[in-house]
Amino acid sequence: MPAVQDILVLFQTTPALTAPPVAWARYEASKGPIRDLVEEGEPPYDNALAAMRDGWEVIQMSELKHRSADEGYDLGPLPYQTVLSKFNELQDEEDAS
Amino acid sequence: MSEYLISAKQMAQFVASGYLRIDDMVPKDLCEACLVEMRDHHFGYLAVGSSFEETWPKGTALGDAFRLPQVRGLIHSLVGPDPLYDHHAAHLVQAGNTRGPDMHQDSVIDFRENYFDIQLSFFPVDTPDEMGGTFLVPGTQFRSVRTGEIHIYQHMRGKIWATCPAGTMYVWNTGVWHGSRSNHTDQDRYMYKLRLNPTRPQVRNFDTADLDDPEIGKILNTNHGWEGNEHRYELMRRVQMWRFVSGQPDYDQGERFMRRIEYQPTEEVAG
Repeated sequence: MPAVQDILVLFQTTPALTAPPVAWARYEASKGPIRDLVEEGEPPYDNALAAMRDGWEVIQMSELKHRSADEGYDLGPLPYQTVLSKFNELQDEEDAS
Repeated sequence: MSEYLISAKQMAQFVASGYLRIDDMVPKDLCEACLVEMRDHHFGYLAVGSSFEETWPKGTALGDAFRLPQVRGLIHSLVGPDPLYDHHAAHLVQAGNTRGPDMHQDSVIDFRENYFDIQLSFFPVDTPDEMGGTFLVPGTQFRSVRTGEIHIYQHMRGKIWATCPAGTMYVWNTGVWHGSRSNHTDQDRYMYKLRLNPTRPQVRNFDTADLDDPEIGKILNTNHGWEGNEHRYELMRRVQMWRFVSGQPDYDQGERFMRRIEYQPTEEVAG
């Protein structure tokens, strides 16, 4: 089976690759879409750097945000994210868990 | 009704975490009657923005459940007298029905300050973990987003979910991030949701006897696990809301971060 791209997104409150994730998401083409989300209490890695040491490649990291007087206290989505990529062998969707 | 008002500490928890869980709100026999109504004849969409008391059906189990004195006390504590009906829905996750990522914020983005709508989530049957009770991320109510764009947060530190006996109600700020979960049992999972609006400023509608309890400062400072570097900014929003609901416009705590907005010398000191 061919190798296809899996994506892991780590969401952080500071942009550093050593920042602990506070939320995370997987988009794994090798397994297909998530139809039954299994709860996870802890992120898969302590930080992006730990994921890199496990073979994940960083394809996007966040820039620092400029803060203005008008928007400096605004809350909204989590402010920073790191996108990681790894290629894995394609599985039949029914075999993926 | 005053005996059913929530305490100041519970109000502080609602401000900090965006929700309260209250067990034994609806007696078992009324839960069973509500379940029959939810299964057999939903009573449709009502007049949004009308008086809740005049609009909400009477002589039905669901009509009675949301008029129980303990439910009235909870509603009064959070949105005050004479609330408006806004929305209701009987949520069903059928037996064996699985769910993928579903994190969302209800309705549409809402930036109103010193204001919040409430949603009551009533669980009429025992809802164990494997049945997939609604999940919430406590403390997210001040983070305005556009409905389902936060599906991308598949997992988040601090996430909780309803695992509760029949008759439990959760009441939550409409802004709290939440979603549905897979039902791995052979029983359908029901939850009944009702949204209400206030008709006057939501100031001191709760029991204020413990308003000066030092525990309130700690409650407002709660760290739910996801705040990280954002915690101080979350605390400022909670302080702003606490000032409003408690009628204490000068309230602050710890390093008094609100001074970074509010303190500005205006008079020259004679030299």
